[in-house]
Amino acid sequence: MKPTRNRAQGRLIILRLIISLAVLVLSGRLWQLQMVDGETYRVLADQNRFREVDVAAPRGVIYDRNGQILARNQPSFTVVVVPADLPEDRVDQEPGAVTAAVIDRLLELLARPQDAAPVQPTPTPAAISQSDAALGGPAVPIMAIPDRQPWIRPRAEIEQAIQDGQLGGAYRPVTVATHIKAPTAFLVAEDAVNLPGVELVLEPIRDYPSGALTSHIIGYMGHVPESELAAYTARGYSQNDQVGLTGLEATYEEELHGKDGLQTIEVDVNGRKIRTVGEPEPASPGNNLMLTLDLNLQRAATEALQDALDGSQGFTKATQGVVVALNPRDGAVLALVSLPSYDNNLFAKGVTTEAWHALTSDPDRPLFNHAIGGVYPPGSIFKIIVAAAGLQENVLTTRTRLGDGFDGNNDGIIWLPNESYPWDRTKDQAFYSWIHKYGYGHGFVTIRDALAVSDDIFFYQLGGGYLDKFHGLGSEAIGYYAREFGLGQTTGIELPGESRGLVPDPKWKRLNWAENWLTGDTYNMSIGQGFVLATPLQMANATAAVANRGFVYQPQLVDHVTDAEGNVVRTFEPILIREAPVDPDNLDTVREGMYGAVNWPNGTAPRAQLPGIAVAGKTGTAEYFRDEDNDNQADRDEKGNLPTHAWFTAFAPYVDPEIVVTVFIANGGEGSTAAVPVAARILQTYFQLDVPAQTAETPTAPGD
Amino acid sequence: MRSVLWRRFDWPLLALVLLLSGYGILMIASALSGNQVLAVWPWRQAGFLLIGMILLFLVAVIDYRLLGSLVYPLYLLMLLALVVLTVAGTVSGGAQRWLALGDFLLQPSELIKLAIILVMSYYLSTREERMNNLITPLVALILLAPAVVLVYLQPNLGTALSLLAIGGMILVVSGLRWQHGLLMIAAGAAAAVPAWKYLFADYMKTRVMMFLDPTAVSAADRYNVDQAMISIGSGGWLGRGLFRGSQSQLHFLRVRHTDFIFSVTAEELGYFGAVVLIILFGLLLLRMTRIASMARDTFGRLIVTGVTTMILFQFIVNIGMNLSLLPVTGIPLPFISYGGSSLWTMLIGIGLTESVAMRYRKIEFE
Repeated sequence: MKPTRNRAQGRLIILRLIISLAVLVLSGRLWQLQMVDGETYRVLADQNRFREVDVAAPRGVIYDRNGQILARNQPSFTVVVVPADLPEDRVDQEPGAVTAAVIDRLLELLARPQDAAPVQPTPTPAAISQSDAALGGPAVPIMAIPDRQPWIRPRAEIEQAIQDGQLGGAYRPVTVATHIKAPTAFLVAEDAVNLPGVELVLEPIRDYPSGALTSHIIGYMGHVPESELAAYTARGYSQNDQVGLTGLEATYEEELHGKDGLQTIEVDVNGRKIRTVGEPEPASPGNNLMLTLDLNLQRAATEALQDALDGSQGFTKATQGVVVALNPRDGAVLALVSLPSYDNNLFAKGVTTEAWHALTSDPDRPLFNHAIGGVYPPGSIFKIIVAAAGLQENVLTTRTRLGDGFDGNNDGIIWLPNESYPWDRTKDQAFYSWIHKYGYGHGFVTIRDALAVSDDIFFYQLGGGYLDKFHGLGSEAIGYYAREFGLGQTTGIELPGESRGLVPDPKWKRLNWAENWLTGDTYNMSIGQGFVLATPLQMANATAAVANRGFVYQPQLVDHVTDAEGNVVRTFEPILIREAPVDPDNLDTVREGMYGAVNWPNGTAPRAQLPGIAVAGKTGTAEYFRDEDNDNQADRDEKGNLPTHAWFTAFAPYVDPEIVVTVFIANGGEGSTAAVPVAARILQTYFQLDVPAQTAETPTAPGD
Repeated sequence: MRSVLWRRFDWPLLALVLLLSGYGILMIASALSGNQVLAVWPWRQAGFLLIGMILLFLVAVIDYRLLGSLVYPLYLLMLLALVVLTVAGTVSGGAQRWLALGDFLLQPSELIKLAIILVMSYYLSTREERMNNLITPLVALILLAPAVVLVYLQPNLGTALSLLAIGGMILVVSGLRWQHGLLMIAAGAAAAVPAWKYLFADYMKTRVMMFLDPTAVSAADRYNVDQAMISIGSGGWLGRGLFRGSQSQLHFLRVRHTDFIFSVTAEELGYFGAVVLIILFGLLLLRMTRIASMARDTFGRLIVTGVTTMILFQFIVNIGMNLSLLPVTGIPLPFISYGGSSLWTMLIGIGLTESVAMRYRKIEFE
């Protein structure tokens, strides 16, 4: 026994050695990790738990000129689902069943009626103006806007969005409901255990109380587009930030956005916020925009235009139209309507794929601002520029008589020799005046009458000359004045998506058509047909330059900018693009002709007459080819006539005008019947006339 | 007689065990704080401790020498339980380690350690005179083999290795000849290559490879280890404070209440708290070797050696894993990690040790 015991005692020393060694090695390693490298690990631990997050700056509010809110931020309980945080499929259930159960439960909670929910008292205008004053808004009584109703995304769309999200961008939240009432929000919050992946956010949602009425001006916001991500991140944006994508929201993004603050937060392993750390670097709110726009006028213009579209008698039903109202004294935009429109609140909630497809596949292009982006032949309203050019270039005087009858027939037709076969009169080309269809012409008239009755023959001759009888302006002179009045270039209005239009010249025709410029082209150009293309805004601005006797202003939508405290940061400054090179006397002659169009017995726009206000204007009926790729077989009506756009551009009062209204109805038929009444209604609203315009009594004189 | 018996009960050992277990309950409470569902688990652990203490005293009172005739049937029973487990065991964490007993989950692989300690100690104590013969240690290994294989097949590599360590140390202390030892090591080394190739499951290889070459494994596999290092390293001298470790409380550290409870301790109580823990283990283990050396017979000495090795092995492997000194194995830290089976196994082991201590050689108090 003894030797065994001794041996065992010896062997136990091995055990004791191992124990001692283990204690030493483990303590030593601990020393190394905690004492030697401790700082490094401390930093790593802090990197784990601290995140710097942006504190969103309150976005600026947009008001119309009377202080009505067009865009604001409404605090809203929003329910979102983060696809990445949804529970994973369980082996004993079908794929998606777990997620479906969560959504079932969530929708059930959201749909639960809230008996306890107190009825929202309608805020008194005084209270609202007070709260707006706190936001930096004007301290004037403004319209009371009701709280928005809860909105819940349809189930199919939620599931689709989650599925999309799981394929990429699983951390981008999918909005399930917005503007939910507080009791419902508490229900959801209390049930968080059963709703993994569901988050309740109190966030400001961009709210557009005037919706579709002003969506083409205000625009909408959305996530930073992929293509511009680099540019935005360079300016301190993150991928999930909302930015203005179009309209004033885009143009004034920087101004409205303000400067985001920074806040350090502590998060857990799932990235959930545990608490805030330290004092945040405060956000500085964005600036507010006060527009020149008059929402009441905008509404009246929209209604009048919509009624005209609904009751249109054109080639086919008209579905697109534009109204532009400017202050000719400074270029301020009073109304800017493009129909059809869309509800920009759709985008604030995160537009659904279906709604997006509906908007983008609509042939009338509701997302497209026809007022600034659409280019159309201006037709007869272009004559105001040709008339001004002719007088200024001394091609004619106010007494010069031109018109139908050089060929002996006052029939509304003018014959132009074929330039290749001038001797062969059978090859002569006929140019018609609109009055030709009534079987007679306007005869010889002076320029004032020619504008009033919209004598096409007169302007053919003024523009292109007639044989050896009259030497016209020529296409280059017309083009020069058209450009001086702002055509062929963007106006510079603060909206993205403006088109330049087209002022053609011989060189342009050679380059694009490989053909020589013919006198016939000048004829067409003289009455705003042929190759001339302009946006309704350009035509309104050109009208304003005639109305104010020569000043081409840049149209502006923003009157002034205030900071969050209400201090004016920037005031309105009219921007004079140029003075048109036309003597005021000559423009007065054009103005007289436009007065005649409305007020003289045979004028084309008698329906624009208003009691007590002298209105001047010019109608236009512009032929166009609908199928631009196939102009030989353009669709014509049974009489062989091309479809026409209806135009009317007017200013009032005649003396010292304060408003220009331009109405454009695509495929609207005749300007005199379709567009003029719309302008009359708008002017009526502007001048606050109670008496309806004398449309009913006005004789239906033939019109252009 | 009874008063004499209790006079020789090793109270310092019991005090160390209670200190460690109490420490464990505290750390479990911290590791699980904020989790309302698991809020009762520290109390459950306290309940396990209470039951465990009763088991400890029951085992201590029984004269270990009476167990001699029981060891083989007991061992067979445990092997049978392991076999049943592979058939009817509850799948948990991918490994079949739990046996549902009513609503309580029992881990036979914990209890098999005790069975191995008893069976090998008994066998070798009866063959003391025949240690010169290679047959004796070989038979001991054959006794060990079925338990190792069954546990390994669960698969539970960590416990299988701990069985080998326990058996090996009992062999060494029982007087294994050094020639035999070398032979066995050589055979083991020769078997290692085919074992790696054919016996090791992928997850085992990953864990070992991760330890050998940290850059070669994916971030997901390294996550737990990295977070444990950050937890420990950020602790500093006195730690972030109990219930205030950011790694633990914000759940960056996973399996906090079991495998990585040492990291929680090091983060929240710092170097001081962690070293106190290590020293408590050191004192406990050395106290146990003292009991082993004073045992009245070889059977008792080997039993205590086995229990000591069992605790030592898990102590080294678990803390070594926390400190990135050893590969990841799901081995709990004795007395500290949450879990009834583990705690009871340890406390029964301590009970066996006390049983040996209470029956020292008579010569001491004559």
